[in-house]
Amino acid sequence: MSTKEKNDVWQGTLSLMVLKTLDVMGPQHGYGIARRIEQTSGDLLAINHGTLYPVLLKLEQEGAITSKWGVSDNNRKAKFYRLTKAGRRQLESERRQWAQTTEIIAAFFARGETQ
Amino acid sequence: MRALRRIWSRLAGALTGPHREAGLRDEIQSHIEMQTDDNLRAGMSPREARRQARLKFGNIELAKEEYRDRRGLPRFEALLRDIQYALRGLAKSPGFAMLAILMMALGIGANTAIFSVVNTVLLQPLAYPEPDRLVQLVINYPGGPDVNLSIPEFLNFRGQAEVFQDVAAYDFGGPGVNLTGGDLPERVRGIHVSADYFRLFGAQIIAGRTFSAQEDLPGAGRLAVISHGVWRRRFHANPDLVGRSISLGGEPHSVVGIVGPSFQPDPPADVWLPLQADPNSRSPAHYLRGAARLKPGVTLDRVNTQLEVAMAEFRREFPQFHADASFTVWPLRYTDVRDVREALFILLGAVGLVLLIACTNVANLLLVRAAGRSREIAIRVAVGASRGRLVWQSLCESLLLSASGGLLGLIIGHAGVRALLTLYPSNIPRIGEDGSAVALDWRVFVFTFAVATATGVLFGLFPALISSRVDLRAQMQEGGSRSGSGAHQNRIRSLLVAVQLALAVVLLVGAGLLIQTFAALRAVQPGFDAKNVLTLEMSLTGSRFQKTAEVTRVVREAERRLHNVPGIKAVASSWMLPVESAFGAVFAIVDGSPAYKQYPKPALMRPVSPGYFDVFRIPLLRGRLFTDRDDAMREGVVVISEEMARKFWPAQNPIGAQIDIDYHIDDFVAPPRRIIGIVGDVHNDRLDREPDPIMYLSQAQAPDGLTTADVSIIPITWVVRTEGDPFLMSTGIQDELRQASGGLPVARIRSMNQVVSQSLARSDFNTIVLGIFAGTALLLAAIGVYGLMSYSVEQRRREIGVLHGIGGRSGTGAARRSSSKGCGCRRSD
Repeated sequence: MSTKEKNDVWQGTLSLMVLKTLDVMGPQHGYGIARRIEQTSGDLLAINHGTLYPVLLKLEQEGAITSKWGVSDNNRKAKFYRLTKAGRRQLESERRQWAQTTEIIAAFFARGETQ
Repeated sequence: MRALRRIWSRLAGALTGPHREAGLRDEIQSHIEMQTDDNLRAGMSPREARRQARLKFGNIELAKEEYRDRRGLPRFEALLRDIQYALRGLAKSPGFAMLAILMMALGIGANTAIFSVVNTVLLQPLAYPEPDRLVQLVINYPGGPDVNLSIPEFLNFRGQAEVFQDVAAYDFGGPGVNLTGGDLPERVRGIHVSADYFRLFGAQIIAGRTFSAQEDLPGAGRLAVISHGVWRRRFHANPDLVGRSISLGGEPHSVVGIVGPSFQPDPPADVWLPLQADPNSRSPAHYLRGAARLKPGVTLDRVNTQLEVAMAEFRREFPQFHADASFTVWPLRYTDVRDVREALFILLGAVGLVLLIACTNVANLLLVRAAGRSREIAIRVAVGASRGRLVWQSLCESLLLSASGGLLGLIIGHAGVRALLTLYPSNIPRIGEDGSAVALDWRVFVFTFAVATATGVLFGLFPALISSRVDLRAQMQEGGSRSGSGAHQNRIRSLLVAVQLALAVVLLVGAGLLIQTFAALRAVQPGFDAKNVLTLEMSLTGSRFQKTAEVTRVVREAERRLHNVPGIKAVASSWMLPVESAFGAVFAIVDGSPAYKQYPKPALMRPVSPGYFDVFRIPLLRGRLFTDRDDAMREGVVVISEEMARKFWPAQNPIGAQIDIDYHIDDFVAPPRRIIGIVGDVHNDRLDREPDPIMYLSQAQAPDGLTTADVSIIPITWVVRTEGDPFLMSTGIQDELRQASGGLPVARIRSMNQVVSQSLARSDFNTIVLGIFAGTALLLAAIGVYGLMSYSVEQRRREIGVLHGIGGRSGTGAARRSSSKGCGCRRSD
């Protein structure tokens, strides 16, 4: 697998996490999203925060999220991302796909183990 | 949908790059600061807090790079870079770039010029609502189609209500209408139209109404619809004009309506009068045009099927009309342009050749240039540039050249065509006054853009493919100044020049032929002397001129008055002029057998007053000419042309023979006429056609019916021979004519020389345009040959130098060698 393909898979997963995060937390800036993903994954997932921004751009280009400059709790200027209606739909469909995929994979491994 | 959205925002991203770049920097900045804040709160030292924050973020530049790749369109940006590269390349050799752009501009400009005329004349729809459904009513004779209808034929067309929504007839407005009652009598353009005319063409009525079907019947009264222009100019936009009476042709007409300024009919008109055609007419006079609007969804095939049936019926009712003719229709637009279509397409073809020559020239230049850069290309291949990439980059360059050439060509072409049409009257229909209707519209832009792109690829692809085929080893071997000048490329360059010369020769031959025609037409003996002849028109409409005697009275009075003016040598009246036209008629030779009328023979016919042959100096060959005594009281006489005598009396002397003429008013009703004289042939129709047989009647002896028909269709034409420049006497002549006619206005004053040159205007125009193209082609081809020669001499400079060194006389061997190269692909070293 080339680096690029690895990135694509990673970005697919990451974008689902971003969408879910925004769904739960409401409008949030990039740093907030990164922190939240780290916390939720119980620090199992230590991501380079920098990799988040291309994903945010892609989601914005697709219309799943919108962004607006605002002021953070600590009075810092920051760009806030918000889930759009289309984003909510995308989250729902991707969540379903994800559940299906994990189910299939799980079933696959389960059979492998019983044999 | 999502993908589409992404592409769109990427495109936007590519264009707003710098702005977004700053945003990204700020965002990353604030991210790291927030992380630093949190780290500080967790108790780190400020330095450590910042360091950890950066670590956590990862490689900032990598993130930015990935972000940028997503944001813009890498391909699009690469294209921009290629264009920049091409621009830099061209800027390095501005001489080459300018020469190439100039040549393309010439080629494309010439194409744009001709296409903009084609566009105006052939492509632009007529300025009526739903013009696609408008058709011209046509009669197909064995000798060709004719758009002139008689009243019975028009009425037959109008009966075909299954296929036509509206059918209208209108005359040409030939004589004009005298608008009197103001300060100065004026001849305005008036046409007779049937009731449906206004609805058919979608004329907008701004006051009053149009004619009703009842008002379009004979004897329904004198009515008029007038144009917005006349209403404002002559009646000061009087809001109460509708319902009032105005004086047209000396008679009161009640104004029923005013037409809005947006209605621009063809033929143009200032005043419309009801046609009031007799529904029971059996007149065979063909003086009307007919147009119809098809019912929605009706095809031309369907119409023609219907018209076949109609013709069969028509023939039963009017057996004397045309045994082997048929009714048909064609798109209304076609009527005016059918004469120029062919010529325009020929010009478009010629101008295409000019463009091809320009293309081969630029291709040659590009080849030479690529040869000079073969080193650079070889290096790029060596470091891994793909062939496709190399081809693409040189294509970029040629497209840039052709696009600039196209832009410049658009300007040159438009300015050129306007200048040409202003300088040389072309008589091309639909282009407006001096070509003012020839405008740049989207079709011209699309055409120029397409031509520029196509030529860019055409002249760019070939050299690009050749020059990118680099043989690295050969490159190393050839080396030095001879790099890339392989035999193969030389052969191609020679071939291109040969093609170019061949194309230029084709154009020159074409132009030469046209110039020959041009000269031949000027050398044609028209059969009359056009020098020092003034022609003037006068409309004799109105009830005053229904009988021949009334016209004769005016003619005699005018002749009497003008004969007393010093400097005037001869005066006559005519209907229409030589070179322009004459009506046709058929006649039968009275030979004693009772059935002679069954063998009608065609000839032109022109009633003239006795002075006609003196004015035009048409020689009398036999017999005698008309005198003032050949009037209605005496035996009818006729003077015929030499061609008529030769054609119909090949072995006999026609003088004294009697003929019976069908004037196309009613069948052979007037008594036979006796032939009294034979005169020289005159080109009565066109200079480029052999003179047709023609018979001249004495104006005073014309049947009343013929005079009635003539005055309603065309103006009478006065022809006056003067001693010197005819225009110097124009004012005096006009005064006398006005007085002789009781105050009728005189219009359209031209010298006979003008009449002749107007009849030649279109073929002159074609000659001039094709001549310009051929000259351009020759110039381009010369540049091409020059370019090739100077390049090959440049290549052999060392060789020539050596020849010099060992004592060769300059100009012999070297010149011979290089000239053998220029002359084609005979040699290929």
